[in-house]
Amino acid sequence: MPHVFEVGELTRSIKDVIESEFPFVWVRGQVVNLSRPGSGHLYFSLRDAEAALAVVWFKNAQGGKALAGGGRYDPLTGEVFETSLATSLTDGMEVMVAGRLTVYAPRGGYQLVAELVQEMGEGRLWLEFEALKKDLAAKGYFDQERKRPLPPHPTRVAVVTAPTGAAVRDFIRIGRERGHGAEVRIYPTLVQGDAAPIGIVRAMLRAVADDWAQVLVLIRGGGSLEDLWAFNSPDVAKAIFASPLPVLTGVGHEVDVTIADMVADVRAATPSHAAQLLWPERAQYAQRLDDLEMDLRRTVEALLAARERELAVLARGLAWLSPSRRLVRLEESFAATRERLDRAVLAWLDGRQRRLDRASEGLSRRFGPGSLGTRLEGLFRRAERLVAAGRLYTAAKEQGLAVGAARLAGLDPLGPLGRGYSLTTVTRTGKFLRRADAVRPGDNLDIMVYAGRVRATVAETAPGNGEDV
Amino acid sequence: MSEREESFEKALEKLERIAAKLETGDIPLEKGVALYKEGMGLVAACRKRLEAARLEIAQAGEDGAVRPFEAEAEAEAGDADGDG
Repeated sequence: MPHVFEVGELTRSIKDVIESEFPFVWVRGQVVNLSRPGSGHLYFSLRDAEAALAVVWFKNAQGGKALAGGGRYDPLTGEVFETSLATSLTDGMEVMVAGRLTVYAPRGGYQLVAELVQEMGEGRLWLEFEALKKDLAAKGYFDQERKRPLPPHPTRVAVVTAPTGAAVRDFIRIGRERGHGAEVRIYPTLVQGDAAPIGIVRAMLRAVADDWAQVLVLIRGGGSLEDLWAFNSPDVAKAIFASPLPVLTGVGHEVDVTIADMVADVRAATPSHAAQLLWPERAQYAQRLDDLEMDLRRTVEALLAARERELAVLARGLAWLSPSRRLVRLEESFAATRERLDRAVLAWLDGRQRRLDRASEGLSRRFGPGSLGTRLEGLFRRAERLVAAGRLYTAAKEQGLAVGAARLAGLDPLGPLGRGYSLTTVTRTGKFLRRADAVRPGDNLDIMVYAGRVRATVAETAPGNGEDV
Repeated sequence: MSEREESFEKALEKLERIAAKLETGDIPLEKGVALYKEGMGLVAACRKRLEAARLEIAQAGEDGAVRPFEAEAEAEAGDADGDG
């Protein structure tokens, strides 16, 4: 089922879209349906051949607030108007209106909240603004190629702004939640009124002259078009352009309006946004550290597991190649060979016996029992010799195998010790003791046995030739 | 202070490098374990610094002197009321 809006909910959504999409616009048209209620606010519509747009011009935006007596002045030139256009505005007049689009929820209508209304023929502010923009664009002030990136995580930040008010407060509040620690130095200045442009320029020059900061931040809270006009001055534009430090601006609450924003290396929408652009959230650092810690744990565990697997493979290989395992395998094959040999000898003897029986039968038939006895005796003796020769043959093979096995076992230097042999060294010479005549009674001996060493003294010797053992 | 803070960045970079090196896996075990220990030490040090991180605010006067930022106390009091 599709979502069903409440009226207020839908209006709020529309309001969000319109107010964020058109934060500041210049519109020109003809004034119609002008009304002047007692409140002093002015209501009218702007119309052209195609459409009409409701406009409200609130009283507080109608005159130059900075001037006593409610007169207007031109923020660019400082020229004071004798009368505000608000008093002389009439139906049918062609005007240019600068302001924000808002939604007026109770009536379900959208309207333009005027910040500035100028007669078309006059339109000086707009013309000045456009002329300056064109001039600076031609001089390359807005070129993307000359724009420098912000230093990553600056720790020394110069902030040119009014020392009181929402802008500096917002900037500090957001900055406190971000980064991993930094120093901020505020260069206070007026940001509004006739003296603002030169004040801003001086503060910027001081920041540059201090040669301390890594980045220069120029911020001001939201206000009317006239409040922000200092940031459209050519002096401020030049100071930003000439700054050896990268400049980050966060002026008002709309991004496209001031020249300062266009010249700056990086433009933030608001002072809070400026702080956000300078430093990442502290929580992000914490998360990054957590990620790295988990990476470290995971990879080192993988490394250990891989090495363990390699070790296990090598250990299996080593066990297969070990002398003791080889001996076992040789013993097995020896037993099999010996069994085959035994069977072969028995079969051979059996065959001879049968031939003998057949021969003795034939002999007894031809020569009678007398001579048979002596012949049989001779045959038995030969048979006995054959059996003995067979035994001798198998015994020789057996001995050969035993010698081989002993040699194999001998490859393991600790093997013989384990079986009770020992290595004896003559302490006096440091040589292995092989012959009894190499020592005299009283000599000291070092005997290495399977587990540990023994020190001994020779009591007596019985020399031999080495083969009578 | 700035030196200390710069070394935070360096520590973080070093940590990234160690993690990347361990990631490849083709290093001797002893070296891997040593890198792991070093990395865990850096993680702990970075965390400690992050907990101690502050924004220090001063004001540069026309005369070039740098003083504590006066509006700060007021702003902080306002924030405490607003947010708390």
